[in-house]
Amino acid sequence: MSLMVLNKGAVGPLIEALMADYRVVGPQAKGPQFAFGTLTDPAQMRLDYNTTILPPKKVLQPQQERLASYSLGGKPSVEQIIEATPTVLFGIHTCDLHAVQLLDKAFSEEYPDAHYLARRDQTILVSLECLEPCDEHSFCKSMGTLTAGEGYDLHLTDLGLAYAVDVATEAGAQILSDYGSASEAGDGDVRRLNDVLGAKWPRFTYRLEFDAAELPALLSTAYDHPLWQELGDRCLACGSCTNVCPTCYCFNVYDETNMALTEGERVRRWDSCQLDEFARVAGGENFREARAARQRHRFMRKGRYIFEKFGELGCVGCGRCIRACVADINIVDGFNAIQRSA
Amino acid sequence: MSETPSNGRPKIAFFDFASCEGCQLTVVDSLQTHLDLLNAVEIVQFREAMTEKGEDYQIAFIEGSCTREADEARLLEIREQADVVVALGACAHLGGVNALKNLHPLEDTRRWVYGDKADWYGTYEARPIGAVIEVDLAIPGCPIDREEFVRVVKAVLIGKTPPIPDYPVCVECKLKENVCLFDIGKFCLGPVVRAGCDAICPTYGDGCEGCRGFIPHPNQNAMKDVLAKAGLTVEEVMSRMTMFNTYQLQEQLVEEEGR
Amino acid sequence: MTSVYIPEMARLVGVEQMTATEKLFTIELPNGRSLGHDPGQFVMASVMGVGEAPVSVSSSPSRSNGVFELCVRQVGDVTNALHGMEPGGWIGVRGPFGNGFPVEKMRGKDLLFAPGGLGLAPLRSLINQVLDERGAFGRVIILCGARRPQELLFRDEVDEWVARDDVECLVTVDRGDDTWDGHVGVITTLFHQISVNPRNTVAATVGPPIMYRFVLMELLGKGIPESQIYLSLERRMRCGVGKCGHCQIHDLCCCQEGPVLTYAQSKGVEEAL
Repeated sequence: MSLMVLNKGAVGPLIEALMADYRVVGPQAKGPQFAFGTLTDPAQMRLDYNTTILPPKKVLQPQQERLASYSLGGKPSVEQIIEATPTVLFGIHTCDLHAVQLLDKAFSEEYPDAHYLARRDQTILVSLECLEPCDEHSFCKSMGTLTAGEGYDLHLTDLGLAYAVDVATEAGAQILSDYGSASEAGDGDVRRLNDVLGAKWPRFTYRLEFDAAELPALLSTAYDHPLWQELGDRCLACGSCTNVCPTCYCFNVYDETNMALTEGERVRRWDSCQLDEFARVAGGENFREARAARQRHRFMRKGRYIFEKFGELGCVGCGRCIRACVADINIVDGFNAIQRSA
Repeated sequence: MSETPSNGRPKIAFFDFASCEGCQLTVVDSLQTHLDLLNAVEIVQFREAMTEKGEDYQIAFIEGSCTREADEARLLEIREQADVVVALGACAHLGGVNALKNLHPLEDTRRWVYGDKADWYGTYEARPIGAVIEVDLAIPGCPIDREEFVRVVKAVLIGKTPPIPDYPVCVECKLKENVCLFDIGKFCLGPVVRAGCDAICPTYGDGCEGCRGFIPHPNQNAMKDVLAKAGLTVEEVMSRMTMFNTYQLQEQLVEEEGR
Repeated sequence: MTSVYIPEMARLVGVEQMTATEKLFTIELPNGRSLGHDPGQFVMASVMGVGEAPVSVSSSPSRSNGVFELCVRQVGDVTNALHGMEPGGWIGVRGPFGNGFPVEKMRGKDLLFAPGGLGLAPLRSLINQVLDERGAFGRVIILCGARRPQELLFRDEVDEWVARDDVECLVTVDRGDDTWDGHVGVITTLFHQISVNPRNTVAATVGPPIMYRFVLMELLGKGIPESQIYLSLERRMRCGVGKCGHCQIHDLCCCQEGPVLTYAQSKGVEEAL
C-alpha cells in the first residue's frame, strides 16, 4: 500500500499506545536466549533478538487451549470456547511469517478450525526484516524465507536511525496512524532501504547443497535410506524438534473434569510425532514404533508431505530444531546427505 | 475384597514402608487445597494424618520401597484387601534412592547403617513394591506432584486410565519455553525421563535426575552419549542414571545377560 | 464460526451385548435427522468427561430410520465408558468423517467381502446397502471369519446371508467348540472354496492388521486388480478432520483420504499394513 518511516525513538511510544487496546506480544530476553511474550513495558521488547526458543506460532496455536466446556449429569450441554483476544504480534522474523502462512492454510482447508482462525483474525502481524542470520543454524536463504513479500500487516526494515515500514493492509495502516507517528518515506529513505536490502543478501549463506524445490522429489525415493536408522539410533524421542518447529501443528485432545463430576472441559495440547505413543491405536498396535521411522516421518513432512498438501515446503529454515536437539540431529545435514547419495 | 461403602464414597488408606514419608506429606498438603477430594473419598487409615486405623478399604496408597523380607507379609495383606493398589512416589514405584544400596554388598550397607548392631536388623536388596505384589498403578516422583495426585485419584474414581504421561520431561520443559540446561552447560536426564512434574527441576535450573523413571523404550545409549559429549565422565553418567533408577538398570542388565 | 470440534449430543436408544467385548449402540440424532453417512465412514464418538474416539458406522445408510449403529469393542477409556452406558444416555457425535467405500464403482460388479472379527462392523454397513439394492450388483460373496464362535458378530444377519440364494456367504472360525458345526480354519481357508471373475470383481476387506497380510495375498492370488481391492485402516484419530496429525500414514491423512484405501494406494506403505 505505502512505504512509511518510523523513527526508532517512536517505536516505544507506538508499543505503549498499542498496549492500551491490544495484547502486544514481542520478543523478550529469557536468560541468555529469547522468547515471545506479552509486553507489559515497551522496554521489554528486544528487536535485536536472534531467534526465540518457541516460534510465535504459540500465539496463534497455544501450547494448551480449551475447546469446549460442558456440564455433566443428564444431557450434557456443551459450549464451545474460543480463546481469542485482539493481539499485535510484533517483530516476527520472515521465516516465522512464512510459517504462519502455512498454518493459515492448514487450519483453513476443508474443515476450518474456528479456534485458530478466530485468533488469527484478531492478530495483527508486524514482521521484521532480518539483516543478519540468527546464527550458524539458520538456513532461511536455502528455504527462500529470508524475506517476505506478503503475509504481514506491517513490515519493518532497520535503516539505522529509523525503520522503513511497509504498510500492507488496512489494519496495518490503521494502527500505524492511530497509535504511531510515522511519516511518508522520501526518496532518500527508499534509496537507503535498497542499500540495506542489497547489503544483507551476501551475509546469508545457502546451506542446502541443492535447490530446496527438489526436496519433494528427492524424498519420494528415500524411504529406505540408511540415514533414518542412523538418526533413530541417536534420537532420544524427546519431541523437542517438533515442539520448537514453527510449522508443526499436531495436537492431542483431553477431557478434564472437576472432582464432583458435574462439569468438565475439552482441551487440546501440542503433540509430537516423535513421541512413542503418537501413532498407537486403540488395539495397542503402534504403526510408527521405531525412532528411525518417526524421524523419517518428520523429514518427510517438512520436505514432502506438507508440500503435496499445500504447495509449500513444510520447513522454513529457522534452524530451531537443530538448536533444540541435544543429540545434534541436523535436518540440513540430513537433507544434504540424502541428496548426495541420490 | 471389601463391600462398597454405603455412602458411595470409596474408602482409601495410606501405608508406608522404607521412605521419607515426603509423598504422604504432599498428599496432606494437596488435601488441604482440594477439599473436594476429601468429599469424594473416605480416608480410613493414614498414619501421617490421623490416629484411626480402619482395615476396610478399597484403594491402598503405598509409599516406600520394600527393603525387608519381613515387610512382604504386610504388603500381601494390603493387596488382599484392596481393589486398587497405588504405588505412591519414587520409592514405591521404582525402588528409588533406597535401591542405591543394591550397588554395594548387603553386608557392607548393613554395617554402615547399623554398625555393631547390624545382626539385629534383617534387610535385603531394596525393591519397588511392584516386585513384591501386583500394583495397579503408580504415581511417580520424588516427591509426588500434588496436582498429579489429584488428577490420578479423580481418574481412578471415574474409571479412567490415570493421566500419567508416557512422554519425556523435555516436552513439558519446551512447552514452558525454558532455556535448555544443555545450552548453559548443565546436565539433564529430561530427554528420557517420564514427564508429569511440569519439568519442575529444569524450570528452576536443576537438571532432571530421573525420579519419575524412564519413558517406555528410552534410548539410554544415546542419552549416555549426549551426557558424555556434554562433559560427564562415565562414572558421572552412571551416577546420574542410577540416582533413582538403580533397580530398573540392574533388572535390565540381568535381562540382557539372560538373552 | 461454529467449531468443528464440538460434538452434538445424541440420544442412545438401544444397547445390545453382542459378544463378551462388543456391544451394538443405536443412536438417534436430534430432530430425527439422519447421519447422512456412506458405508465405511466413521464418527467421532464422545463420552463427555472421558474423551472421544473414532468409531466406524455399522448400520447401512439404506436402513437409517433416523438412527445409526455403532459396534464398539471395549478397548480403552472411551469405549469402556460407552459400554457402561444404558439407553437414554447421551453420546457426543461429530461426523461422519472419512471417505467410505466407493459404492458407485461397485455397481454392476461382482463383489467379494472379507470381514475378519470386528472388521464386520464397517463392512456390514456396506453389505446391507448392497443387499438393499441387490439388483444393481453382480454376485455377492461374503467370506466371514472370527477367532471363536462366540466372537462372531451380527450372528443373526450372517445366518440370513448364508440362507439367501442370491448371496454366497461362507463363515469360518479359527478355533471351534461344541456349539460350532461350521467351518474351522483361518479366513484364508475359505478362499479355496470360491472362484471369481477377477476383472469384474471388486473386493472389500476389513480386519486386524495381521489378517490383511494373508487376505490380500489371497485376493491378489485370485487375480483381482490392486485398484479393485479396498481395505479400511484403523487409526486413532484425535480430530477426524485432517488437523491433529495422529492418523497420518506416510503422506496419506487417514481421516480425509481414508480410512478406506485401495491396495494399490497402500501397498509398499510400511506404516499402512
